[in-house]
Amino acid sequence: MHTVETDVLIIGTGFGGAAPALRFAEAGFRVTLIEQGPRLDPYRDFRQTQDPKYILKYIKGISGERLHLTYAEALGGRSGFYEMVSLRAPSQAFARVDHSGLRLWPSGLDRQALDPYYDIADRMLHVEQIAPHLVPKSGLVFALMMKNLGYSCERARYAVQGCVGSGFCVTGCVYGAKQSLLINYLPQAVAAGATIETDLEARVIAPVVEPYATPRGGSIQAVPYRYDVLCRKRSGGNELMRFRARILILAGGTVGTAKLLLRSRRHLPFLSEQVGRNIAFNGSVKAVGILPDHFPDGDMFAGRSHPGMISYEFLQSRGITITAAKPLPVQAVAAARLRLDGDEREPSYWGAPHVALMRRFRHRMIVLVTFGMTPPLGRLSLTPGDRPELHLDLTGDLREYYRECKELLHSILRRNGCRIVRAQFLNGEGAPLADPVFSTAHQVGSCRMADAKSRGVVDVWGEVFDYPGLFVTDGAVIPTSLAVNTSLTILVKTPSAFPPSC
Amino acid sequence: MHLKITIDRRTALKRLSILAAGYASAACTPARILLHCYPDDLARQPLLTEQVLRAFVITVIPGAPPDDPSLIRAYYDTYYPLARYRDFLVADLCERSRDQFRIERFDRLSPNQRTAVIHSGLDQGGTTARLYNGAIFLAQIAVFGGIYDDERGCPLIGFEGRYRGLDAVSYPDPERFLPRSSSADGNPS
Repeated sequence: MHTVETDVLIIGTGFGGAAPALRFAEAGFRVTLIEQGPRLDPYRDFRQTQDPKYILKYIKGISGERLHLTYAEALGGRSGFYEMVSLRAPSQAFARVDHSGLRLWPSGLDRQALDPYYDIADRMLHVEQIAPHLVPKSGLVFALMMKNLGYSCERARYAVQGCVGSGFCVTGCVYGAKQSLLINYLPQAVAAGATIETDLEARVIAPVVEPYATPRGGSIQAVPYRYDVLCRKRSGGNELMRFRARILILAGGTVGTAKLLLRSRRHLPFLSEQVGRNIAFNGSVKAVGILPDHFPDGDMFAGRSHPGMISYEFLQSRGITITAAKPLPVQAVAAARLRLDGDEREPSYWGAPHVALMRRFRHRMIVLVTFGMTPPLGRLSLTPGDRPELHLDLTGDLREYYRECKELLHSILRRNGCRIVRAQFLNGEGAPLADPVFSTAHQVGSCRMADAKSRGVVDVWGEVFDYPGLFVTDGAVIPTSLAVNTSLTILVKTPSAFPPSC
Repeated sequence: MHLKITIDRRTALKRLSILAAGYASAACTPARILLHCYPDDLARQPLLTEQVLRAFVITVIPGAPPDDPSLIRAYYDTYYPLARYRDFLVADLCERSRDQFRIERFDRLSPNQRTAVIHSGLDQGGTTARLYNGAIFLAQIAVFGGIYDDERGCPLIGFEGRYRGLDAVSYPDPERFLPRSSSADGNPS
């Protein structure tokens, strides 16, 4: 089997992997990144399409009975396919406590501590608040609804330069306007000497030497090779490769990193029992309405994929933000069966009534979404056959949160004169899911950072408890829902990671 | 035109259900068995299959252009599992047409009759309902998403497909929509 030796091996090329790759490459280390998804050229490979074959080549999901998580498998991770929303986590997120009143974030980490790193990331990604004349029509209609009720709203911030408002951010920006990691961190890391291997899946980690026996500090050459990672090529003949690293960084995301650690547990017997647990999912609750005639057109297809406006009005009182959503037709149809409230005609989700509703989709429909600081109650496990399973402990409090959010969203719609559209969410076969169900691409946790091994998997530096030189730097370490998009926070906590002695 | 069915539909469905339960993780297996024993005749009548599927889609999505070459393409696209069950769906639609309306051909029923036939398939429950449900789901994704023609999109719902720079992104007077904000830069602390 071919073995590659490197100073720093990074598994994953998304928001968790790109920043450490650049940092270590610029510092002169030999850096190798592994990506299980395909290589992507943002100027050649992205398409403006609804073709599931294209979308599902890069976008993957995992479903439990009450929880669905979406993630990307491609060079640059989710950054090629997200809506570019780049927000700092509000202070309230860092103050969250667990059921026994203990703060979930490790000591010393809060918004103020991270702000300098947010500044760096903002500069790298050219993050700017959207100008009023670029806010999509649907976002302005949402803003008007909030204004009518006396609520505040913010123009959101995005990692983009020269946006044309094509509306296909989520299938990849063909104009190179989106500041994905494919056009900043990753090429800069490569220019500094890093190498990237794609279509290569990390299967299992094993220590080369007793981790405790390895010295800390001094030059990187003084540190022995500490970890082997067995990998399998996903293309060609499933060739096996071994990578041997002095520093190993896991950045495969909340799902990918947890899977890899769970699979490696027999080689890493001192891993925390918390691996795979404490998945937070940003409490996404959705409601749909039909705009009244006196409202302007909320064109669902005009402008960027995210509608540009976010309300923090209920952050203090309920721990949620509210925004609108602009699903493309396939996203809408695949996500839910829609039925106009009070319309008892059958069939409801197909046939003439459904087509009539879909014809109003573009101009008269509005979708509202909450993101909330719901507790980290999700859990990922592996079956003996290596199949990942996702669970959500649906507590009474969580049910109540869902009901209250739904009620609030319906209230906002009704007080603006909207008719409610009932949405019944669907699985991948188009069959209805149990209600409530949470679906998100903002999952974090699964290997959360904590002050002690009994409460988490990594320390405040991102280093796995009892495994020196093994780090997690992706969303898996974030211990709480943020009530906003997670990408910027995943990116910025990595420069703050790594003790000087690593 | 008569469909020569080699085994009784309900027997076949029952067998499918039993097999499906036993092979939950490899649901194609029972379907393959049935495809060899049940809708053989359909394999020899591709035009009939196409006409029935077109009738199915325009019943599920009234207003979809019946002659659109892409209308039923998803049912032949082996990327989607439903391609394996296509002939079974067609055979079942035709048999229900005969049972309910004494007309062998589903595509020759009136729109209301076709709707009733699809309802009866959905009401059957179990594997049959799953098959009908999946077929409806796939039709909606293919037609509303315009998945086979990025240029065209879905005119039925005003989805124009690929961006052509034709529409105004925003309103000319956005300020009149905007409420007060609680931060100077969109990043409340």
